[in-house]
Amino acid sequence: MSLWLAGLALLLVKIGLVLFVVLTGAAYLVLAERKLLARFQLRLGPNRAGPLGIWQPLADALKLLMKEDTVPAGADRPLFLAAPAMSAATAMLIFAVVPFGDSLTIAGRPVPLVVADVSVGLLFVLALSSIGVYGVVLGGWASNSSFSLLGAIRGGAQMISYELPLALSLAPVVMLAGSFSLVDIVSAQAGCPFIVKQPAAFLIFCVSALAESKRLPFDLPEAENELMAGYHTEYSGMRFGLYFVGEYVNMIALGCLVAVFFLGGWRGPLLPPFVWLMLKAALVPLVLIWVRATLPRLRFDQLMHSSWKVLTPLALANILVTGGLMAALG
Amino acid sequence: MLPEMVKLRRKGEELLEDGLGLLRPFATTLGMLFTRPITVQYPEEKRVLPARSRGRIILTRSPDGDERCVACFLCSAACPVSCISMEAATREDGRRYASWFRINFGRCIFCGLCEEACPTLAIQLTPDYEFSKATIMELVYEKPALLVDHGGKDPDYDFYRHAGVTEKGEKGSHVNEQEPVDVKRLLP
Amino acid sequence: MSRKPEEASCRLTIDGREIVVAADTPVIDAAERLGIMIPRFCYHPALGAVGACRMCAVKFLDGPVKGLQMSCMVGARDGMVVSTTNPEAVDFRRQVVEWLMANHPHDCPVCDEGGHCLLQDETISGGHALRRYRGPKRTYRDQDLGPFVAHEMNRCIHCYRCARFYQEVAGGRDYGVLSIARRTYFGRYEGGRLESPFAGNIIDLCPTGTLTDKPSRYRARRWDLERGPSVCLHCSLGCGLTVGARYREVMKLEARLNPEVNGHFICDRGRYGFGYESRPDRPRQPRVDGRETIAGAALAALAEGLKPFEAGKVAMVGGTRSNLETLAALLGLCRDQGWRPPVFFRDARLAGAAESAAAALSGDLVASLADVGRADVILVVCADPLAEAPMLALSLRRAARRGAAVLVLDHRPCDLPCEAERLTFAPQELAGCLSRLAHAALRGRKEAAAYLSSLPLPPDLLPETALALDTWGKRLAEARFPLVVCGTDQAEPTLPALAGGLARLLAGSHDQDRRAGFLPLLPGPNGLAAALAGGGDLEALLADIEDGRATALLVVESDLLSRTPEPERWLAALRKLKLLAVCDHLPSPLLEAAHVVLPSRTVFEAGGHFVNQEGRLQRAMPVFSPGLPMGRTLREGHPPRLFMSCAPGSEPRPAADWLKDLAGLLGAGGRAGDWADLAAAFPGLPGLAAGPAPENGRRCLPETAPGADAPSVAKTGSPDVPPDHLQVLLVERTFGTEELSCRAPLLAASAPEPWVDLAAADAGKAGLAHGAWLLVPLPGGPLRARLRVHQDMAPGLLLLPRDPRLLWQRLAGTGVLVELLRLHAITAEEEPAGEDTTLEAEP
Repeated sequence: MSLWLAGLALLLVKIGLVLFVVLTGAAYLVLAERKLLARFQLRLGPNRAGPLGIWQPLADALKLLMKEDTVPAGADRPLFLAAPAMSAATAMLIFAVVPFGDSLTIAGRPVPLVVADVSVGLLFVLALSSIGVYGVVLGGWASNSSFSLLGAIRGGAQMISYELPLALSLAPVVMLAGSFSLVDIVSAQAGCPFIVKQPAAFLIFCVSALAESKRLPFDLPEAENELMAGYHTEYSGMRFGLYFVGEYVNMIALGCLVAVFFLGGWRGPLLPPFVWLMLKAALVPLVLIWVRATLPRLRFDQLMHSSWKVLTPLALANILVTGGLMAALG
Repeated sequence: MLPEMVKLRRKGEELLEDGLGLLRPFATTLGMLFTRPITVQYPEEKRVLPARSRGRIILTRSPDGDERCVACFLCSAACPVSCISMEAATREDGRRYASWFRINFGRCIFCGLCEEACPTLAIQLTPDYEFSKATIMELVYEKPALLVDHGGKDPDYDFYRHAGVTEKGEKGSHVNEQEPVDVKRLLP
Repeated sequence: MSRKPEEASCRLTIDGREIVVAADTPVIDAAERLGIMIPRFCYHPALGAVGACRMCAVKFLDGPVKGLQMSCMVGARDGMVVSTTNPEAVDFRRQVVEWLMANHPHDCPVCDEGGHCLLQDETISGGHALRRYRGPKRTYRDQDLGPFVAHEMNRCIHCYRCARFYQEVAGGRDYGVLSIARRTYFGRYEGGRLESPFAGNIIDLCPTGTLTDKPSRYRARRWDLERGPSVCLHCSLGCGLTVGARYREVMKLEARLNPEVNGHFICDRGRYGFGYESRPDRPRQPRVDGRETIAGAALAALAEGLKPFEAGKVAMVGGTRSNLETLAALLGLCRDQGWRPPVFFRDARLAGAAESAAAALSGDLVASLADVGRADVILVVCADPLAEAPMLALSLRRAARRGAAVLVLDHRPCDLPCEAERLTFAPQELAGCLSRLAHAALRGRKEAAAYLSSLPLPPDLLPETALALDTWGKRLAEARFPLVVCGTDQAEPTLPALAGGLARLLAGSHDQDRRAGFLPLLPGPNGLAAALAGGGDLEALLADIEDGRATALLVVESDLLSRTPEPERWLAALRKLKLLAVCDHLPSPLLEAAHVVLPSRTVFEAGGHFVNQEGRLQRAMPVFSPGLPMGRTLREGHPPRLFMSCAPGSEPRPAADWLKDLAGLLGAGGRAGDWADLAAAFPGLPGLAAGPAPENGRRCLPETAPGADAPSVAKTGSPDVPPDHLQVLLVERTFGTEELSCRAPLLAASAPEPWVDLAAADAGKAGLAHGAWLLVPLPGGPLRARLRVHQDMAPGLLLLPRDPRLLWQRLAGTGVLVELLRLHAITAEEEPAGEDTTLEAEP
């Protein structure tokens, strides 16, 4: 009984820690993005709230919390209210299966540094990413606004299109690791990270993940100069904030997934495993910000073209080649 | 070389060029990251604007200290947002002047057309840009608030030295004028 | 008059476009008809061409004339090919404007012409934007030309328009060209007020800022003015005006071209007779029993107050200065409520004269002002054109310059700007003289028998006078286009009918081509409509009020207290009234006595229709919305900053609206007050049915006047003047007496000192000299005024102007006689105007 209780407590502590780290990280990622974008554009960025603007995320959060939460007339109220949560929750749930390090031994018992070592962790991740589409589509549809609906349609089409290359690019990883568990995948990279063995899969995964995150150059669902703010045009206050949080948590999650699938997860010399993971995970958001500062938005036909005619065939070919090589090399 | 080879090579060069085209912008933006930002920290640092920049409008005075404005209505006619209004009147000494003169800075777009239209160089735009107000009515400036005691950008110009009217100086006493004609002289 | 078909026409080509015009039309005019405005300074359609400015040069490519010519000086001929855009002509015009500008001062910012200046426009359009001449400029000293015209001679380009108008068109002699060559100067020999009552037109004519409007000097630019077409209300001619208002104040009035009425010009009474609309003492707020209230409350109080009266005891007084809409509403109100018919005229004589003049008018007989200029013999009976209708004098001069004979039959010393033959008789003798003249003109005409038999007997005349009248009659009978002008202000009631009958018979005397005209002068701008509406007169109404037959009085835009010779009697009568309501925009003592005051709008704010003495329906447009002039709302030197939906003092409403709303409250059943109602109110003007007036007006009289051929002429009861007595006659003057313009601050401040007139014979008997101060013993007290002695004036008369600066209301009655020898001059010591003297300070 006490064991069970201790397990529950441990689980809650792990969840709390992960959420704290992830949410704080997301908040400061916003600041980092604004600062970096400013510097890319020869500006200074936010620097009024505290030294170097470090209290800016806090101020933003306070502002969003204190703003009026409006629901447009004619909106589908329950869906309108639930959609942002769906978007944020799916992003955060990914961290349930991300391993932050090797097992620790506390009081003689092994404590895995993962919230839940699910045997089908990779499928879980893909499933969550599919559910994330609902946050976008329902939010846009429930708003009863042309801009929102157009954004939602674009978002749905884009995310479903890129799920395919995303999943297919991970197939060689699973083939190499022989497991769907993220813990096992990390373990499988003990010798050499998969980026070395699967550079093509890494590229396909990165591009698809970028598209899944709906960020530049794939931000057609939000396309400010065409659709105001796309699917979240009608949102205000903290509900808008939830979409925002979802986006940035998703960026960190993508960073973690890239680290886990291709960069060897928490593995690394000298530094503790958690720090290694964080360093590797931070790489992806930084590159995303850089991309945002550099590339213009794609046209919708280019978006569809690159998914169906380039990335999907490439991923399929990659599976065949991997399979063939594995069969040939035994 | 075979034509196919040429074609292939050209294709390869194009691909390379495309790839470089995708990467070069990243180098550019990365370069910007390490360049000094141009932002000016406004309330702490203030830029000194050039004398010709267009900010708060003033009414200047001629070298003899009298107001230059003759209420000719050209500025209000030129103003694209109709923010200038005035009433012309005759002063005791016979001089034309604006009995009241109002600029609604809440409406002004600082285009400078009034300054261009002004034939006496009375109305001028200054580099002063810091005059926000808490209430919009405070942005309606009347003549005492607009009138300054200097000549602005052209301190030496005096319209009445050239005009030929008798408000300031008799006939024939202005720049480049002959003595008045004696109409009762009988010489041819 | 329609152009005769045989008049030669010719076809010419201007800039590749063909036009057919009458031969000898100036080419500049022909081009204007094509919409091609050839630049010009000296040419003006009313002044003709002199070719002084050289600005209208065009190239004649083919035809009888070739080369570079002034288009104003060349008459159109068949086959002419003209180019206005030929490089040679364009270059020539550019040079002309450059040399005109060489001496022009650099003072457009302080020049009032700036913004509507022909010189500015043509300098820029001619392509001369930068001065090349660097030498010293010629200057002139300016003159003070009086209160209306500002002179700035430096700006002159020597187009001669002002001098040509002043001397040729207006007949003035005190302004013109001085000196020669590059010293040429336009002005007077010595500075001083311009004497001609038409002097203001030189402001409109001047293409530069040399002559500008002094009252509006330095006040507004043309582009800022709210402008609109209007009609002059200062006599019955209805000249066209353009009103220019700024900041809820009339800045200036300009002449509006109306070819059949005033042409290009107006008189100074019309031009400067404004300002009554922005007087500080103008009623702007409705009042009930002296307390200010709002419109609805005042109307409700009036309607409630009117209910207890039986219909026959309610009287209405209207004014001939009201617009047609107001008169129609007034007539409708009286008819629907069964009240007494409205009263428009001050006494029975004037009402009778106006009604008989109106009855004599018909579309086939009536003459416009333009017709006056076309006539060849003009008989002016009992009219003083300069005083009663100044623009008529200008038309008479135009006719005289074309060779017409102007024959004046009047008792006053009529001063005309043209050559005229004059005969003077006492007013009661005029009908008899006209009868003698008519007998001479219509001798042997069968159809005239009935008319001639109705005429009164001629008085005993001196042989040479009788001969002159007979000669005049013959000349009228032989004339190609005879025209009879008849005044009503001084006329016996039958006189206009006699004059109209004479004109009618003159028209029908020979072949059908011949025509004759009749032009009566009526009291007030809507005098014709009022005369056609009929009604009583104020004298009769006064008696009824005194007897208690009328106990409620509504006065609409009529200032009876300051126009009556019996103010004390009126004041006493008004106190007997149980209800007095006044609707007006002029301040008057009547407002103080009124129980209900309804402020009305002036013509500048309300607009409206007016029918002039030729039955021409004309429209004045509302030009600005009523409200206190901006200058009177200043706080700390600048306009108030609060934004309000209405301007302060914007309470006045059109008088017609007050009356219509009153009718509604009295249960008249919501008369819509549309045009059909208006037309129905004036059966004597059938042309009204065709709708509101077009731009230059439309004649509304019936084509023929039934029964006008044989006027019913009653013997008039003229006063028998005992010997050595003077009959005191109230007369009009050009300035200072007319109802509206005597309230105009500009004219009140500048009108000449009022004077009384006496014939030389009488003055000699009494030993009085021209220019002396005279003490006239009147029933209401002595009156002091300057005397003018005239040779050409009927004896036995003392002419007293209705000038508010004179205490003429001490007359205290009509038909007053003064003993000649009781007039006496007062000495120089008594001259300075003290508190108790006759010169009353204008408020």
